[in-house]
Amino acid sequence: MRVTKGAQIVAGTALLALAVAACGGGASDGGGTAAGGSETPVRMEIGEPQELLVPQNTTETEGSEVLAAVFSPLVGYDENKQPVEEAAESITTSDSKVWTIKLKPGYTWHDGTPVTAEDYKRAWDFAAYQDNAMSSSYFFGRVDGYNDVHPGEGKTPTAKEMKGLKVVDDNTLEVTLSAPFSQFKTMLGYTAFYPLPKSAFGPDGKVTQEYGEKPIGQGLFKLDKPYKKGTDQTIELSVYDKFTGAKPKNWTKLQFKVYTSSETAYNDLQAENLDIHDSLPASAIAGAKAALGDRYHDEPDASVGYIGVPLKYNPEFNNPDIRKAISMAIDRKTITETVFSGTRAPADDFINPAIPGYRQGACDACTYNPAEAKKLYESAKGPKTLELGYNADGGHKEWIEAVANNLRANLGIEVSPKPFEKFQGILDALDAKEYKGLFRMGWSIDYPSPENYLTPIFGTGAIETGSNYGGYSNKEFDALVAKGDQATDPAEGLKFYQQADDILIKELPYIPVYFYRSNFGNSTKVKNVKLNLLNQVEWADIEKA
Amino acid sequence: MSNPTQPVGPGLPETQTMVTDQVVPPAQEGQRKGKQKGGKPASLWTDAWYDLRRRPMFILSLIIIAVLLVMSFWPSLFTSIDPFNARTCDLSTARQLPSAGHMFGKDNLGCDVYARTIYGARNSIVIGVFTTLITALLGGLLGIISGYFSGAIDVISSRVTEIFFAIPPILGALLIAATFRGRANSIMLVILALALLGWPMTFRIMRAAVITAKSQDFVVAAKALGAGAGRIMFRHLLPNSLAPVIVVSTINLGGFIAAEAALSFLGVGVQSPDISWGLMIADARNRFLDAPLPLVFPAVFLSITVLAFIMMGDAVRDALDPKLR
Repeated sequence: MRVTKGAQIVAGTALLALAVAACGGGASDGGGTAAGGSETPVRMEIGEPQELLVPQNTTETEGSEVLAAVFSPLVGYDENKQPVEEAAESITTSDSKVWTIKLKPGYTWHDGTPVTAEDYKRAWDFAAYQDNAMSSSYFFGRVDGYNDVHPGEGKTPTAKEMKGLKVVDDNTLEVTLSAPFSQFKTMLGYTAFYPLPKSAFGPDGKVTQEYGEKPIGQGLFKLDKPYKKGTDQTIELSVYDKFTGAKPKNWTKLQFKVYTSSETAYNDLQAENLDIHDSLPASAIAGAKAALGDRYHDEPDASVGYIGVPLKYNPEFNNPDIRKAISMAIDRKTITETVFSGTRAPADDFINPAIPGYRQGACDACTYNPAEAKKLYESAKGPKTLELGYNADGGHKEWIEAVANNLRANLGIEVSPKPFEKFQGILDALDAKEYKGLFRMGWSIDYPSPENYLTPIFGTGAIETGSNYGGYSNKEFDALVAKGDQATDPAEGLKFYQQADDILIKELPYIPVYFYRSNFGNSTKVKNVKLNLLNQVEWADIEKA
Repeated sequence: MSNPTQPVGPGLPETQTMVTDQVVPPAQEGQRKGKQKGGKPASLWTDAWYDLRRRPMFILSLIIIAVLLVMSFWPSLFTSIDPFNARTCDLSTARQLPSAGHMFGKDNLGCDVYARTIYGARNSIVIGVFTTLITALLGGLLGIISGYFSGAIDVISSRVTEIFFAIPPILGALLIAATFRGRANSIMLVILALALLGWPMTFRIMRAAVITAKSQDFVVAAKALGAGAGRIMFRHLLPNSLAPVIVVSTINLGGFIAAEAALSFLGVGVQSPDISWGLMIADARNRFLDAPLPLVFPAVFLSITVLAFIMMGDAVRDALDPKLR
């Protein structure tokens, strides 16, 4: 009876392999106590950070979430989305060009040494210097002297430090911008503006690998042990005793659990193996209200979801009518209602309603109009086949499939959704010219200003150093944004930003699809979970139940 | 194999096609059975067929498989909805319960579950059948050579087989499919990945059967009469070792269909916009608690299909294995 037995063995192995593979996405449990002490940590879900944990090289949400726990920003944001000083004592200017930042005394690095203005200057110079290739260098583009340290591709920097940064004394930093920028203070809450201790740098003047695995910050939490990206499934932190700001009342240990699937994380949340999950999968949301009750949170969020257009990589999309037709063929209302169970809103502007400057219904081509879409697509001779790239680790499959169905039905073309393991995979494939289709893109703000929906994603300068992954470039747009930056009157600035927004609406370099709402859930073990404007958890407010 | 039968052939005009044609017919010739009732090796197939016809399990599985085959070649006989036409999907009716026009209800994207299930049969059957064919041909050929020649050839090919055997099939296929994903047609990739890991089983069975048959008198006689290796292998050994290979292949077919569903479920098998039961199950999984039907229907079809092939394999085995009777 060898035959039957053999077949059974195969079937048995197949099942085993399936079970093993299915578990692959989850983080290991019980790693929490390894760091010492018997306290169960507060556990939060994150996706794997894209880079080592260096603030100046972290421009995505997952790494930022971790760094926000380790560092204390110069400014935080109040309920009216206005910046308030946090690690800074005061930030003042008289002309929006020269800014004086006074540090709040008492802040120390996790190794005990005091934080000085020099630590800020050092970090910012490092971020801006071209040869260091930091992804956040773009943020310093407004500082006087940036062009000397970052002259652009193919050119050699003529200085190592920006002349606009001046240390007045241990607690005072003076920043001179190359042109007035009314929103500068708002920017300072972003990850890129965190300081770096002297010990972060190796003898070659670069941030060491060691530091990237175990960053020393000046914030609420310190890392208990180095985080080895790619192998470690958790990041262990505990409260830094000498932190002078607000601390959590009844707990000291924090653990980030790295997940590759938000569905797995949601299952863990329900099983109480996870305490905070801030990227609930769309598929879970309908059930989450019932399953989590008041532990489910639905709050307005300043993020936007787009379909990105690879203008730089694929000339097929050059005609704006093609982009317009694609945009009109997407039934945003039904997608947000059905796929997202009403937890996202159809996008009708490039600026999110949570931020001043939003105009309802500004984007005409964002209205569903299949008949007009088809006519326009045909007269513009749009491509007969489209690819829609998305990262499979973020719960995007369903809405991408829904968009694909819209495009197939309304434009009469072939559309293939194309999953990539991670978002970076799409960008790498675009860069390597292995992929040149449309791609899913999301933008979560760095600082609450309408300008943040414009320059970093669509500005010409952001192609090299920012998040302008599509490679859109328009001089008129750049000029209008610059005018808005220089306006001294906020209302006047807003007017220019909106004019720049109008250009985007006309040209649709990306196709806005929905505005996020932030949907997060927590376990019964914690309460009072809140996210700030940057979608980072307010750790000090959380209490253990 | 170049053509070694030609020089040694004892007068009979033989071509390659005849060789394969003759594998089954001599056994099935009715008059032969009538004439000499006790012709043992020749009557195996006739007996088996006689036996199979009386087994309800065999008849049932045959009917199911016939329906599935019709379904995969002419899905439009079963449904008027073309699931590849996106116009048939209406997102606003997502997760609708079964109704007159949509007997299985609608899935998460508002597409008809019944039509998708029917059209999903094709990929499962195609992948199952082609994978089985490749494994049977590759494993069978290597098995017969290895079993007949023994010695170094056997040692080497057996060790190679063991290496492949040591890889858990789904895990290995997952790796292959994930590595080459996007570089080849997804259905072809699944077939190749499964076949690459599936042939060692056929190889072993063929080899064992050939080794048993090799020492029988008629083989010795053929050798004594000067028959060449090719003639002995394909004319004498093959018909006498084919039964277990057919049995294991039929049973494996069901296994391959299940494996395809598993790969598609894990996201490396058949890719959207192609339809596959595994893919449908994966898509419906996330909302299973809200809307179980879009998962249940493809899962039931998958189970029935796999079961039908395994049942048929079981019946064929019982019929072909003289020791059981």
